[in-house]
Amino acid sequence: MDAALQIVIGGLLQGSLFAVVALGFSLVFRMTGVVNLSQGAFCVLGALLAYSLETSGLPIYATVPVAVLGVAVFGLAVGLIFFVPSLSRLPNSSMLMLTAGLLTLTQGLMLVHWGGDPYSLRPFSGEAPARIFGVRVPTQGFWIAGMTLVVILAFWYLFARTTLGKALQACAENPVAARLMGIDVERMALASFVLAAMIGALGGIMVAPILALQFDTSQLFTISGFIAVAIGGIGSFIGAVVGGLVLGVAEQLAAGYISALFSNALALGLLLATLLWKPSGLFAFGRTRRTDVREEQRIHPAIVRLKGRGAAVGGAAALAAAFALPLLVSDPGLMSSIVITAILFIGVLGLDVLMGFAGQVSLGQGGFMAIGGYIAAILATTYGWPPIVGIFLGCLGALICALLLSIATMRLRGHYLALATLAFGLVIDSLDVGMMDTTGGPSGLVGIPSLEIGGYSFDGDRSMYYLVLGIIVLLLLLLLGGMRSGFGRALMAVRADRLAAGALGINVARLKMGAFAISAVLAALAGSLYAFYFHYLSPDMVGTQRSFEMITMLVIGGEGTLVGPILGVALLTLLPTLVQSLALYKILAEGALLVLAFSFLPEGIFGGLARLPAWLAERRTQRLVPTRIPAHREAP
Amino acid sequence: MTIPALEVTGLVRAFGGIRAIDGVTLAVPAGSVTALIGPNGSGKTTLFNLITNLYRPDAGGVRLFGEPLTGAADWQVAARGLVRTFQTARVFPGMTAFENVLAGAHLRQRSTPLSQMLWLGRARHEERALAERAEAMLELAGLGGFRDTAATDLPMGAQKLLEVIRALMARPRLLLLDEPAAGLNDGETAELAMLLCAVRDSGVTLLVVEHNMSLVMGVADQVIVLDAGAVIARGTPAEIQRNPRVIEAYIGQAEGTA
Repeated sequence: MDAALQIVIGGLLQGSLFAVVALGFSLVFRMTGVVNLSQGAFCVLGALLAYSLETSGLPIYATVPVAVLGVAVFGLAVGLIFFVPSLSRLPNSSMLMLTAGLLTLTQGLMLVHWGGDPYSLRPFSGEAPARIFGVRVPTQGFWIAGMTLVVILAFWYLFARTTLGKALQACAENPVAARLMGIDVERMALASFVLAAMIGALGGIMVAPILALQFDTSQLFTISGFIAVAIGGIGSFIGAVVGGLVLGVAEQLAAGYISALFSNALALGLLLATLLWKPSGLFAFGRTRRTDVREEQRIHPAIVRLKGRGAAVGGAAALAAAFALPLLVSDPGLMSSIVITAILFIGVLGLDVLMGFAGQVSLGQGGFMAIGGYIAAILATTYGWPPIVGIFLGCLGALICALLLSIATMRLRGHYLALATLAFGLVIDSLDVGMMDTTGGPSGLVGIPSLEIGGYSFDGDRSMYYLVLGIIVLLLLLLLGGMRSGFGRALMAVRADRLAAGALGINVARLKMGAFAISAVLAALAGSLYAFYFHYLSPDMVGTQRSFEMITMLVIGGEGTLVGPILGVALLTLLPTLVQSLALYKILAEGALLVLAFSFLPEGIFGGLARLPAWLAERRTQRLVPTRIPAHREAP
Repeated sequence: MTIPALEVTGLVRAFGGIRAIDGVTLAVPAGSVTALIGPNGSGKTTLFNLITNLYRPDAGGVRLFGEPLTGAADWQVAARGLVRTFQTARVFPGMTAFENVLAGAHLRQRSTPLSQMLWLGRARHEERALAERAEAMLELAGLGGFRDTAATDLPMGAQKLLEVIRALMARPRLLLLDEPAAGLNDGETAELAMLLCAVRDSGVTLLVVEHNMSLVMGVADQVIVLDAGAVIARGTPAEIQRNPRVIEAYIGQAEGTA
């Protein structure tokens, strides 16, 4: 009984943190309609700042406000430079990835400054736990509970009693009308973003004494907070608190009575169950809106289409260069990086079909790489099966998972689907680590044989390179054929406007499922090739960080172009090899590149290059002849 | 008696306390051009959304060429021959005008994604045929010069015409147009009128929500007038122009004459 009570109290404490993160989510979502994935990073940033302040000798009552203020300044800068300006330019799916970029960026900053070690703060009121009715409660628990209560009360006061709260409310209800009433909607969005960052920081600092935090704990906070908010109903403040507490208690009960491994799976289960049973959560916020009228018009990036002789010549030249590449590279380290580039490109290619064409955001591509990689590697290593059979079964496993996930999330749109994939990826992460006996756990699976097909062993860099190149050429031909025909057009229509697509007879759900299946299978293929090439597979090679990295590669390369992403993959894979000292800055650079790409080059490097000739020609003609606006068409 | 293209019986839909559609019954004869008119807020677009199953009705039903349409998903509605456009043009952003029109042919595409990926002759041949048809359509609507322009960069009027020909690529049996002439200039409206007549002559039934009276009077065989969620009049354009209830609904009642 005592043990049960102990667990429930632990759950409530953990739930309080989730609730606070969830409140931040709900606040930003209400104001901007964006799920801000960087929310979890502010918690950890706050805690790490507090740690540094504490070790520099500042007393605790000064540490907390200074750290929260520090995070507020950081949030203000990030919000002012990246978040708010993008709101009016980017579609929501891109906003989601932008916040994923902000998450990565902040994590990278923390890694550079604090390193990868976990830190914790000293409990605010000493180590000795209090005893209440015979149950030991860490005194920090009172601080956490008190802080949660204060935050909730402050929220209530803000929205019920202040003008700022009324203005925020107005923006949430109807931004256009609010703007017409003279409310600065952008400033309100910024205010909500900074406020959410401060709340997150406060939560992070409060739990830091009972929970060791490191830079990548951010992802966990983000996903837990999101699951909490999805259970409670995104946009609802009561829902956020209830969802957080429910999730915290459920996770602790699962961890206490079954296993810690199970508690992650349970979180995903809870999320899926809620989304299926009540997609808008327990406490739905907002009313139904007209669906046949588009909410707002965003600015659209230029359309990149290569065709005709230029593209054929360029493609042939690129192919020739790709064939000659191993003859020109003598450095084995670089050659190895080139092979990895090629392997990762297969996975990013799948992501391009899903994101660039069908417009669905997947934050779990690494999870599918893990499924393919581990199935193939375990079958080949532990059971001695032929690698090719392992690859096939790995892809099949990923396909089955993708279809199941797709069916389960079929009714979900936008954010929910993307976050379901993130939750899926995190569950796979924890399975990789947790299933020690099969996967080798955190230290990885060793002794994976080389890929062997029909007696020929692909054990060298070059042989592997040519094999992967062959696969890529084949895949590109297949995908070019599909994406430039009705299939690709239908996917693009789904991305562009799912309602108008449906009205033309396009079965949106089935197409999304098809794109998801293609992306999962290609990820699995990449994962298994990766394992056979490296002779080793560890969870962080195919983890959630990898998922985020692949998105960055895709976006900075150029989505929706199939060939463009290779530039992004090469940039992020080869640069750290060429400049070894950059390795520490890799995560930071990935986050920064993703965020900058969204701000300055939404069509990616490839799109920018492809547009260059037209842009130059335009400039030349502009200098030669006065610009003439083309007549719409001849009069009838 | 022939089966009407569209038969709406006793349709009711309330939003909160407002009965936006309050027992509408109407029929659209096959092969006709029927115009649906009414003051703003009379429920025309809501009726469209109910017919295409975007909203669920509280009561009543819809039959398409005699077959009930209840419960069909949006794409199934289109697959059964009913294609619609939207009040605000919903061209596909990120795609050229030509690609937009081609995307409309989704229902006519017989080749599977797999055969397209394998570059099979059948799939290539079909692509070429559809592309030719799409180009002919663009010419028909006078949009030939915009072939490779991003659809969202087109002038508003051109976007509306683009949406109409995109819908035609699906070869619907019944085409629902929601205010196709809104935002069109006189020249574009004339072009639209010609396009609509050409569509009717090719055997497609048309149901058009429209405010532009000269367009309505010029092309419609039948006019149905909606006010406050109910049908208040129906008849030929000439009859409707003389109908006192219609004039009252549009212009309002003179004070003290009730």
